[in-house]
Amino acid sequence: MNDRIELPQGTLDLLILRTLALEPQHGWGISERVQQMSSDVLRIQQGSLYPALHRLERRGWIKAHWGTSDNNRRAKYYELSRSGRRQLASERDLWRKLTAAVAQVLGPA
Amino acid sequence: MLDDLFFRVRSLLRRETVESEMEDELRFHSEHQIEKYLKAGMSRSEALRRVRLEFGGLEQVKEDCRDARGVSLIETLAQDLRYGGRTLRKWPGFAAAALLTLALGIGANTAIFSVVYGILLRPLPFRDVSRLVLLNETTPRVGDVSVSYPNFRDWRSQSHAFAEMAAVNAVNFNMAGSNQPENISGLAVSPNFLPMMGVQPVMGRGFTPDEEKAGAAPVVLLSYALWQSQFGADRRMIGQTIRLDSHTATIVGVLPPEFRWVEKCDVMEPIGVWATHNDSATERGERGDLLVAGRLAAGLRMEQARAEMETIAAGLARAYPEVNDQCGVKLRPLREAFSGDVRPAMLVLLGAALFVLLVACANVANLFLMRGAVRSREMAVRIAIGASRGRIVRQMLTESFLVALLGGVAGVGLAMAGIPAIARLIPPDTLAGASLGMNGAVLLFSAGLVVLSMFLSGLAPALHSMSGNVQAELKEGGKTTSAGARNRWRGLLAASEVGLALVLLVGAGLMLKSLYRLLAVDSGFRSAHVLKLEMDLRTVQYDKDPAVIAFWQQTLDRVRALPGVESAAIGTDIPLTDDHSRADITVEGMALPSPGSFPHPDIHIVSPDYEKTLGIRLLRGHTFTQANRENAPRVAMVNVTAAQRLFPGTDPVGKRFMFGHPGAGRKPQWLTIVGVIADTRMYGLANPARLEVYLPFRQSPSNGMVLLVKSGQEPTALVSAIRGIVTSIDREQPIFGIATMQEVVNASVSTRRITLILLGLFSGLALVLAGIGIYGVISYSVTQRAREIGIRIALGAQRGDVLRLVLAQGAKISAAGIVMGSAASLGLTRLMAKLLYAVSAADPATFAVVAVVLALIAMVASYIPARRTLRVDPLIALRQE
Repeated sequence: MNDRIELPQGTLDLLILRTLALEPQHGWGISERVQQMSSDVLRIQQGSLYPALHRLERRGWIKAHWGTSDNNRRAKYYELSRSGRRQLASERDLWRKLTAAVAQVLGPA
Repeated sequence: MLDDLFFRVRSLLRRETVESEMEDELRFHSEHQIEKYLKAGMSRSEALRRVRLEFGGLEQVKEDCRDARGVSLIETLAQDLRYGGRTLRKWPGFAAAALLTLALGIGANTAIFSVVYGILLRPLPFRDVSRLVLLNETTPRVGDVSVSYPNFRDWRSQSHAFAEMAAVNAVNFNMAGSNQPENISGLAVSPNFLPMMGVQPVMGRGFTPDEEKAGAAPVVLLSYALWQSQFGADRRMIGQTIRLDSHTATIVGVLPPEFRWVEKCDVMEPIGVWATHNDSATERGERGDLLVAGRLAAGLRMEQARAEMETIAAGLARAYPEVNDQCGVKLRPLREAFSGDVRPAMLVLLGAALFVLLVACANVANLFLMRGAVRSREMAVRIAIGASRGRIVRQMLTESFLVALLGGVAGVGLAMAGIPAIARLIPPDTLAGASLGMNGAVLLFSAGLVVLSMFLSGLAPALHSMSGNVQAELKEGGKTTSAGARNRWRGLLAASEVGLALVLLVGAGLMLKSLYRLLAVDSGFRSAHVLKLEMDLRTVQYDKDPAVIAFWQQTLDRVRALPGVESAAIGTDIPLTDDHSRADITVEGMALPSPGSFPHPDIHIVSPDYEKTLGIRLLRGHTFTQANRENAPRVAMVNVTAAQRLFPGTDPVGKRFMFGHPGAGRKPQWLTIVGVIADTRMYGLANPARLEVYLPFRQSPSNGMVLLVKSGQEPTALVSAIRGIVTSIDREQPIFGIATMQEVVNASVSTRRITLILLGLFSGLALVLAGIGIYGVISYSVTQRAREIGIRIALGAQRGDVLRLVLAQGAKISAAGIVMGSAASLGLTRLMAKLLYAVSAADPATFAVVAVVLALIAMVASYIPARRTLRVDPLIALRQE
């Protein structure tokens, strides 16, 4: 459990957008999915997840609607908007460039 | 950007929904998380604990979400306002005091500004007013005089600096109305006057170029007010006729309701119609009531126009020396003509009102500081649990904003109640048709005052609240460390209140002394129990002198016979008014000067008993009698000034003079001086007497006269009896301008009187506020120093010593204030020099009296709280340790 990593600034938005690119999801679902997809390395603090969701909604990158969850409970689902999709694509590119460049500087382990 | 704003606003408007959704969403999350942990085999309590830990502060998360949604900026403002409102309710005494103080300050300013706006600032209802100029002639012997119509015509044809010029001649008519005959005022204007001013009749037509020529068919435009009051706002009146004097004129239109002029205007006629009935239209030497309005040509400045007009006037003086010698021309912006006289008084009062507001703000700032001392712990606690200092300042300013806003609302209410009272003080002449009251511009000004008050009364306390030392405040149950700094602030504020109050009091003192000296001036006449009524015989039957003489003689005889009448007389002019006729005279045997330097006295046509009715002293010779009739030798009286100037060192009685200049082939008509009477202040109490010549009315009949009636009791009781007499002689003869001479005297000093009343009110207000300010500072300091005082007494100090100690603090404040205020007054009172009469702006006596009064008030204000030190029980004071 100790190999969990603090998320670098700005990556949270990218992770949320990426997760929502698969399917509309509620907040809890997003955090579960990120955890799964990162093999338990990345865990999103709820304290930062929800403010981030509201911020992305305000920017118009994601849209929210109330739906019914798997176990028949009312839940707030988020989905990617068209501009959110564009944002994801460009941020993904940026991230790839950044990590590649950082890796290059650091050199082989 | 816009989307973002919509999102924020929606979040704000749907706050309830958004909040509950947020709640649901977060609960949903934690429930899922708990379920997950339960599935993983944790106990329920363990799962709950874990979830709570992971979540951090739930409220914190919510707040962060709100931040993310962008509602927080507006929300905190709303919070501050709610919190501010709660605090004010919690301190009702403080809130009421602060609110009332600011309401008085803002109210005074709003009321004065509404008057200043109405008279000085409100846009005149003309096109491009800044290019409009009013012109009149001048002569060194009189100063400003009217324009002769032939001179105007030459000005217009020779001038290039003006795109247009128009003559505006004040006239009046007798109108035989439906019930009581009335005298109405009017303007005879060049046909281009209205187009030049950019004024369109609301109905009917303006005047045509043809109507400039003498002999034009009589037509009139009605003022909107007259059309409403006399003709029931009936549109069918256009094309109908109206009887003015004995003539019939066709109504061709109605002026717009907002039209106003320097003089009152009920009807307007083309100058050609006036020229038909008036010889003065062709007499270059006649200067009646004509002014000239002009519109500067594009791109030209007033200075250029003035230079050109001076050249033209000089040319006319050379061409017609007999009537134009030494005559100049004066140009002034039209705006100034509408407000010239009262401008200095208005500005002084606006400045004074602003001072009252400053005193009020200082007082409220002091209240805030005083309360700040009590709340310093609350502030320290709030800072300790995480409020930023910026947030605290913002919140303090929000509180002062609330106070200022409520004070402003109450102040506007006060002003609305006060404006009618102030408006009643202002004579209609000064108003020149301006209407006073609340409007958008005035409200905007009040809003500005609210913001100003917010900063002035809130900034010092707010900044001060930042400087405190949190740890020290929290320690030891709050023995405040910043008290010293706070007291310095408060002392400074109280001292500046004293200083400001001193400036206002000095201003009021100087005004009071001026008015007192002015009213103590020997006016040369007695106003008590004298009534004045004006009449102008304008109908065709009075074209012949005998009819005029008969009317006046009959009126006089019958008025004199009324019970209660001590004496009655008529005269063309009465003292303290403005319109006087003047003429050149030639004294028998004098050396002949240039045409523009002949003696030019005022000419008064009076009946016997004139000087007796007005209480003017006869100094030499005798007054007019019934013997000075039409065919008797012509006689005259002169005033002392004329006697001294024209006949220095000799007795004028028996000397002769004639009107006009001696001309070749003209037989001189000599008048013999029979008496010398005292000078009267014809041009206002502050102005010295001019040369005056009196003529008996039967030898120089005049159609326009003022009837003066002196009675044993209240003279206004005679009005209806006099009306009855006039009606029985001529049913269609109107009487106007009815007033007592006392009212005439009062009106002549009205500007100074209003200034004094308001200045006195303002300085009284400032004085009370400053007293309260000192009281507050001393009273607070006594409370704060109770411990120190207790120790001093315990150590053997006499109570008298302690009392002196506290009083010394008050004395220091008032001394500082008096020094600051005196220095400021010396600079500021010079600005009101124009309003003063026979008093220097730096009058030492006024300064001394005001300083003593303030020192006494300060002494009393500090003595009352200081006395409490006498009751300090050292044991109780020390026990508080």
